[in-house]
Amino acid sequence: MKTDATAQPGTGAVMVVGGGIAGAQAALDLAGSGFYVYLVEKSPSIGGVMAQLDKTFPTNDCSMCILSPKLVECGRHLNIKLITMADVQAIEGDAGAFTVTVRERPRYVDMEKCIACGVCAEKCPKKVEDAFNQGLGPRKAAYVLYPQAVPLKYVIDEENCIYFQKGKCRACEKFCPAGAVDFNQKEKVHKLDVGSVILAPGFKPFDPGMYDVYGYGVHKNVITSMEFERILSPSGPYQGHMVRPSDKGECRKIAWLQCVGSRDMQLGAHEYCSGVCCTYAIKQAVIAREHAKGEVDASIFYMDMRTYGKDFERYRNRAEGENGVRFIRSRVHSIETAAPGSDDLKIEYMDADGNMQNEVFDLVVLSVGLEAPADMADLAARLDVRLNGSGFAETSAFAPAATSRPGIFACGAFTGPCDIPSSVMGASAASNACAVLLSGARGKLTHEKTYPPEAPVAGDAPRIGVFVCHCGVNIGSVVDVPSVRDYAKGLPGVAYVADNMFTCSQDTQKLIREAIAEHKLNRVVVAACTPRTHEPLFQETIREAGLNGYLFEMANIRDHDSWVHQSEPEKATAKAKDLVRMAVAKVALLEPVAKMRAELDHSAMVVGGGVAGMVAALGLADQGFKTHLIERTDRLGGSALNIRRSWNGEDAQAYVKGLCDRVAAHPEIEVHTGAKITSVAGSVGHFTTVVESVGGAKELEHGLAIIATGAKAYEPTEYLYGKSPLVTRWHGVEDLLESDPRRVDAMQAAAFIQCVGSREPERPYCSKVCCTASVRQAILLKERKPEMDVYILYRDLRTYGLREELYTQARRLGVMFVRFPDNEKPVVESISENGRERLAITVKDHVLGAPVRLTVDLLNLATAIVPEGAKELAQLFKVPLNDDGFFLEAHMKLRPVDFATDGVFVCGLAHYPKPLEEAISQAQAAAARAAAILARPYIEVEPIVSTINSDLCTGCGLCEKSCPYGAIRRREVIGRGWVAETVTALCKGCGVCAAACPQRAIDIVHFRNDQLMVAIRAGGAATPS
Amino acid sequence: MSDAFAPKMLAFLCNWCSYAGADLAGVSRFQYPPTIRVLRTMCSGRVDPLHMIEGLKSGFDGVLVFGCHIGDCHYIDGNYFTMTRVAVVRRLLEVSGVGSERLQLRWVSAAEGQIFAEYVKELSATVEALGPFEHERYAFELAAIEHALETPRLRWLTGMERQLTAHENVFHERLDSEQYKRVLMDAVEMEYHKSAILQALKKGPLVVREMASITKIPVQTVAQRVEDLEKSGRIDFCGYDGTAPRFMSAAA
Repeated sequence: MKTDATAQPGTGAVMVVGGGIAGAQAALDLAGSGFYVYLVEKSPSIGGVMAQLDKTFPTNDCSMCILSPKLVECGRHLNIKLITMADVQAIEGDAGAFTVTVRERPRYVDMEKCIACGVCAEKCPKKVEDAFNQGLGPRKAAYVLYPQAVPLKYVIDEENCIYFQKGKCRACEKFCPAGAVDFNQKEKVHKLDVGSVILAPGFKPFDPGMYDVYGYGVHKNVITSMEFERILSPSGPYQGHMVRPSDKGECRKIAWLQCVGSRDMQLGAHEYCSGVCCTYAIKQAVIAREHAKGEVDASIFYMDMRTYGKDFERYRNRAEGENGVRFIRSRVHSIETAAPGSDDLKIEYMDADGNMQNEVFDLVVLSVGLEAPADMADLAARLDVRLNGSGFAETSAFAPAATSRPGIFACGAFTGPCDIPSSVMGASAASNACAVLLSGARGKLTHEKTYPPEAPVAGDAPRIGVFVCHCGVNIGSVVDVPSVRDYAKGLPGVAYVADNMFTCSQDTQKLIREAIAEHKLNRVVVAACTPRTHEPLFQETIREAGLNGYLFEMANIRDHDSWVHQSEPEKATAKAKDLVRMAVAKVALLEPVAKMRAELDHSAMVVGGGVAGMVAALGLADQGFKTHLIERTDRLGGSALNIRRSWNGEDAQAYVKGLCDRVAAHPEIEVHTGAKITSVAGSVGHFTTVVESVGGAKELEHGLAIIATGAKAYEPTEYLYGKSPLVTRWHGVEDLLESDPRRVDAMQAAAFIQCVGSREPERPYCSKVCCTASVRQAILLKERKPEMDVYILYRDLRTYGLREELYTQARRLGVMFVRFPDNEKPVVESISENGRERLAITVKDHVLGAPVRLTVDLLNLATAIVPEGAKELAQLFKVPLNDDGFFLEAHMKLRPVDFATDGVFVCGLAHYPKPLEEAISQAQAAAARAAAILARPYIEVEPIVSTINSDLCTGCGLCEKSCPYGAIRRREVIGRGWVAETVTALCKGCGVCAAACPQRAIDIVHFRNDQLMVAIRAGGAATPS
Repeated sequence: MSDAFAPKMLAFLCNWCSYAGADLAGVSRFQYPPTIRVLRTMCSGRVDPLHMIEGLKSGFDGVLVFGCHIGDCHYIDGNYFTMTRVAVVRRLLEVSGVGSERLQLRWVSAAEGQIFAEYVKELSATVEALGPFEHERYAFELAAIEHALETPRLRWLTGMERQLTAHENVFHERLDSEQYKRVLMDAVEMEYHKSAILQALKKGPLVVREMASITKIPVQTVAQRVEDLEKSGRIDFCGYDGTAPRFMSAAA
């Protein structure tokens, strides 16, 4: 993948095409690691489809809440230039030195002048269908894409504007208080020099109009899942009221129909599985039940429930068990009006036992699939990028981010249907590929951020600004926000209060900065969501206004209040007031804190020498960062040594060998095999890790670590495994085809059993890759010997995404698929036939509804993938595991390779079972995230550390003994004895010493004793009624 | 279970595990009663025993301390210190008659939103059953507890538990954990008694029987502690009340 980057440094800028979550992530990764980024978006604002979603699975996070900070960061980043309403026309040149022609359409609103007051939209007489709301409501011809849009600038829709169509009107221009409307704007063409390009144009939801059976466009209450997202959204067309389009009546009975436009061979539909619809339908059903406080029946009609991702299976089980969602395995035959004149709909379907049934619903949601946008083919042709048969970018399993044209990379749904974490991972992977290509040009075109000088606040009486967030309806529907705002006004030291629809949106950030200047605020409280995600954003905002970032406090009135006290609005409001009072009391005593820098060891450690570990190591070493690769066994390669081919048939062995050779020969990689980590000290920027191997123990210094320790296949006790030589697992069939094909030729029948050890009470997760592995091996058997009977015994067939084509091929070749019920496992017996051992499998067939007996010569088990050695490593690096023993990332959706602990990352099977191409993508992503740290000259350390009052200190040494980091040492002072001192660089600010000190001589910056005490006292005071 | 009384409790949450767990409860919409007021610290090890008592003094009906599970602490072993501190304060609440149930410790990981919600439900019920906490009524006891917690002796013994039982003392011996706990708890009781006596003497000189009646500590015990306090120069003999010796605070 690496080109001759050292010889030709290339251009230190990258163009990212598409401003959805994938594009935004790629832009942030690159801008954060020393590259200038042009983010080109065709619509008026970035955000993409994720901005249209109400919630995200499997955590039910509010989509806008987690996306908005990223968008705001893109919008305000010094090294990201947003070019909206723009298309890429052509890319000339070669990798490292492209010239891109970008056409920017006129917005007819001057972005410099627009203050997003909305007067233009209010005065605009022309109503049009709002595409952002899926046409469920109107917008004006002068509009903003959505309320939290970045950039938050209005736009005039030329196609619908009365002035443009009829030559008269210009109401917007007349009323705009800022004089921002400019009908003379013309199209602009930019020629931009960049080193590489990332394509992240996203997908288009499938249009179900082609199907007669569903009656979409005929029946008003048959809608798509995207429409339903907008219905659920508080900023959607119905303000979050769950009503149906025909009569705006409350929904009481909703059906979801799966695989609409996916897994369908009809012309116009797609053969592939869209991969995300099962889980998003579950999410919608759960949220619908929640919205209606359980007073709605939610039913999902499906073929196979494909909940194959991390925590998806649990999500499904909870939906059925706790949330009461009905799952109906079926084939839908038709949807008709329930009765003449009725808006209700009757669904006719065939159930799992083959009987025709019907049921009436008042809303039907079509779980539409994902497809490549229509203009994608043109773009690809213009840019000379090859697409595959499904219309997505053609990529190799071993270079999942690379397109057919060197220097042009792809991520997100452009590489095939995928969910948000995969898009984010793919985006980071693509940015890693760019960084490797352009490492010689790093920092050449970027600018440094400077803040205005900080206003001194010492000695000034507090002037506190309190901003209370509605968070759409997330807070506002439970907590009485205006009442909290008014209450805050009366608190001591409060000089200004405001309430905001979305406090995290870009326009509110501006309002906060303006309020600080106008009202001379010296401290700020935001009552909104959690400081764990949003504190950095607000701290940045107040720094831009000349306040030290630490003169800030958050009151979490959403996660800890409105969301958990949904049925007690008054008490939740009282609680919000208490929390605000505590925050105001604390912020009044907070002091400015200066950021500190710590030394950075510009090297990495990768733990685990499988494919993920090797790819991550190369992803860093190719950028010139020294990397230690630690492998437990004597050999590199890991689980991939057992894989012969990727799902799409590429030679995995040749790839792994190539990888091992490159790693071994790489000057920046030091490989430690037969090595075990026994201790880890330090933190981001400087770790000291002891590695033991045959040669003895070594102390290695490194700036950060990537955990890629993999997983292993479960060794089953069931189905005669280990008892009969005819029972194998995982790659057993492939191995046999390689080692003894004649034995295969002599076989009459073979079977596969799926979910062995997976999706069981003790291991309630799906191992994700087993269905594809078995189907692929079944095809190999059929290709070798077409007359052989090959059976796959399964529960749900989960050949997700483009892998569905293997399932189709297997059925075409005559592989027989037998679905067995969860509670009736197949029974395997060893029998003797003419002195030859065979296996008799008894399984209940779902079509016949009766047990069938299969006699086979080979049984291959798809056993669960289980974590290995994760527990010890988790404790050494102080990172968490999930309930299944896989490493738990910082955020399931948007930080899929980071840990909450800075400087430690995860990739590969250690994170969750996944196929080779996803492990590679995730490894590249981890390398990208790690490189963003290593690319800086030093680490900016959180200055929350201990301080010791040496006048009070008696030198007893308790603090020194208590500190787990050795961050306190005693020094002898002549005439005084011993005095304790903090070693600031080592201090992590836990506060154990402060709470222990017998003299109470120690305090913790930003969590000082008096600061905590006033908050406690404020909280304990009587709650206002 | 009437709505006449709903407790208000102070909840200390550590940033990395329990705060994240509480966030997850929110994100997952696990409902729990609106009884807690959260104060975030980076580690539960930041929570000083005096902060716990301040909660009760300030008007809360209960104080909850949440931390990472043992072994999961983001700061290696901060939560071990928390465990000892909570045990010490609970013992003080018990010997003073305030009642230890008003202080609770629970471990919640970042992945345990539901468990967090369950704990809040459980502990709300516990404190609800105890009824409102009348902190004015217990002002004397709380002041004595606070004084005891400020003594270098208790702070030292509390802080050294981890060092002496998990690592070693200056003679490279590791002390038995159970034995240490007994020593610590005896010291807690003794320091409380002394603090209560000193607290009682703040209002003026008293004889032993009067001290016992104010502090609600048995006469025999008061007599022993008075002897200790006199030896260490904390109180002074200042005359007789009949045949009973009268003492005053040395500081006064």
